[in-house]
Amino acid sequence: MQTTTYQANLEQAREFLYTLIQKNASPEGVEWLDKQLSKLRQEWDYRTFYFSFSSVPRFLGKASITYDEASLSKANALREGFTPQDWDTTQITRTYILLFLPHDDLKEYALTIDRMCETADMYEQQALYAALPLLPHPKELTGRAAEGIRTNMTNVFDAIALHNPYPADYLEQEAWNQLVLKAVFMGRPLYKIYHVDERANPELARMLIDFAHERWAAHRQISPEIWRFVAPYLNEEYLSELEKSVKDGEPLEVEAALLACSENTYSGGKELLDQHPDVKGRIAKKEINWQSIGDRYNVNK
Amino acid sequence: MQFIDPHIHVTSRTTDDYEAMQAAGIVAIIEPAFWLGQPRTKVGSFQDYFNSLVGFERFRASQFGIKHYCTIGLNSKEANNERLAEQVMELLPLYVGKEGVVAVGEIGYDDQTPAEDKYYRMQLELAKEVDMPVMIHTPHRDKKRGTTRSMDVAIEHGLAPHMVVVDHNNEETVKEVLDRGFWAAFTIYPHTKMGSERMVEIVKQYGTERIIVDSAADWGVSDPLAVPKTAKLMMEKGISEADVHKACYQNALEAYSQSGQMKESDWQEGVAIDQREKYSGNSVLRGGQTPKVKGSSGIVEN
Ligand SMILES: [Zn+2]
Repeated sequence: MQTTTYQANLEQAREFLYTLIQKNASPEGVEWLDKQLSKLRQEWDYRTFYFSFSSVPRFLGKASITYDEASLSKANALREGFTPQDWDTTQITRTYILLFLPHDDLKEYALTIDRMCETADMYEQQALYAALPLLPHPKELTGRAAEGIRTNMTNVFDAIALHNPYPADYLEQEAWNQLVLKAVFMGRPLYKIYHVDERANPELARMLIDFAHERWAAHRQISPEIWRFVAPYLNEEYLSELEKSVKDGEPLEVEAALLACSENTYSGGKELLDQHPDVKGRIAKKEINWQSIGDRYNVNK
Repeated sequence: MQFIDPHIHVTSRTTDDYEAMQAAGIVAIIEPAFWLGQPRTKVGSFQDYFNSLVGFERFRASQFGIKHYCTIGLNSKEANNERLAEQVMELLPLYVGKEGVVAVGEIGYDDQTPAEDKYYRMQLELAKEVDMPVMIHTPHRDKKRGTTRSMDVAIEHGLAPHMVVVDHNNEETVKEVLDRGFWAAFTIYPHTKMGSERMVEIVKQYGTERIIVDSAADWGVSDPLAVPKTAKLMMEKGISEADVHKACYQNALEAYSQSGQMKESDWQEGVAIDQREKYSGNSVLRGGQTPKVKGSSGIVEN
């Protein structure tokens, strides 16, 4: 018998989500939800489960939810990195329902998740992928997550890539690198990827450098955020790219390239940084950091 | 004047059609799941078809400022392949509750075989279970009897007539459908179904209470502008604007909004168009075309 890996205590997670639902949905909506789940508790039935999951917007609506500090830190205590800050009522409720899916039989469980993803509309996909950090059997869902990353629907991609601790914790390096590269391609805010620095790797740095060359050849801009992933591997080979960014880039690119230099002991980078004492000073004072660069870049875009 | 075409198979239509429909005042459409002209041989084909109805086609319609809804069901012809039909029945609960699905449909009879009867009944039960309207396709052959039978069976399964739209009516069937309290829809389809002239006469005789006009335009020789064209003819023949509005807009809205998945506000502010957005990597634009942008897209968010 296989033992189940849990990322979060399911009972506590349900309780947490249910409290949010109660606070934000209409009493009639909550009543409908209770009725659906009591049916499922009495006798599990996939028909009712599927129908409940997809019908959530019809009965509970899509009102946005305002989260206080306390709920967000509770979320994080439940599962490190779990950040439902952008989830609306429908998404919260769909996640809640999903946490009732039987998972003792791994094969059946994985099959059901696959089936749901394959037949899901855009918002259902968003909910399914964003729920990954709460689901049991996380290791067995990596293939599904990699499949999700192949989407070109921005909100579905964001559901996996941004504010989601699952990829950093479970994706193989290849899939992880695809995620970051694709986020760069799609112009997503990279600093919202959970634990980006922890998963930096030389292969990713190389791919991003290649990407920068392509963009430059096409006379197009590059996201200043990519230098964050190059920083740990800065060496002689990559120095000319950074120099180019500092010489020709927009102010944000200059700041990002120099910030990368400041994070590595490589002497070439240090010299480049020393040539720009003003930026160096602001980096030292923490006025320039990856979050601020990402923020400003994505606002201006 | 604004129109709803509550029965059109846009999957089979071109972008020119969408442009013409939008220009003619069509603001919202319903695409019933139906037969593609040749039988499907695998359940996966149904799954992909349903996915396109709730996904890509909805996106494509939005690109032309038209709000797209659909109905989900196993059509009568394909109910005769029982092995496949069983698998499709298992698929339906995954779809009927989705956003923008406004009915179980189009279901009913074609040859009126026992297999058609079986799956029609199963789908009526499903509709009842999830409290959704039903769109009934009435048979082309032996129509009068088939229409009566469709309604009898719906009643037998406990469906309220106001939750059932009976489509493809003609002069022979309309009276009974209206008398029994069902919605009576009419397909304005060249040669085979109903013509605009005849439609005008029906409205003159029966009024517009529970009468719905649609095009059922599909992969055959058909007209995606049938609804606005019929409306124009109605006006020319002296039918009041209020009546035209009822038959070509309001009644469809009332019937299908009972699903809780369709409301006027969905399109009244205009359907956001942003042709820069993509859906699954696909765009309706081809090389060198300039995207039209109006408002922000409800389909893909940035
Ligand atoms: Zn049809």
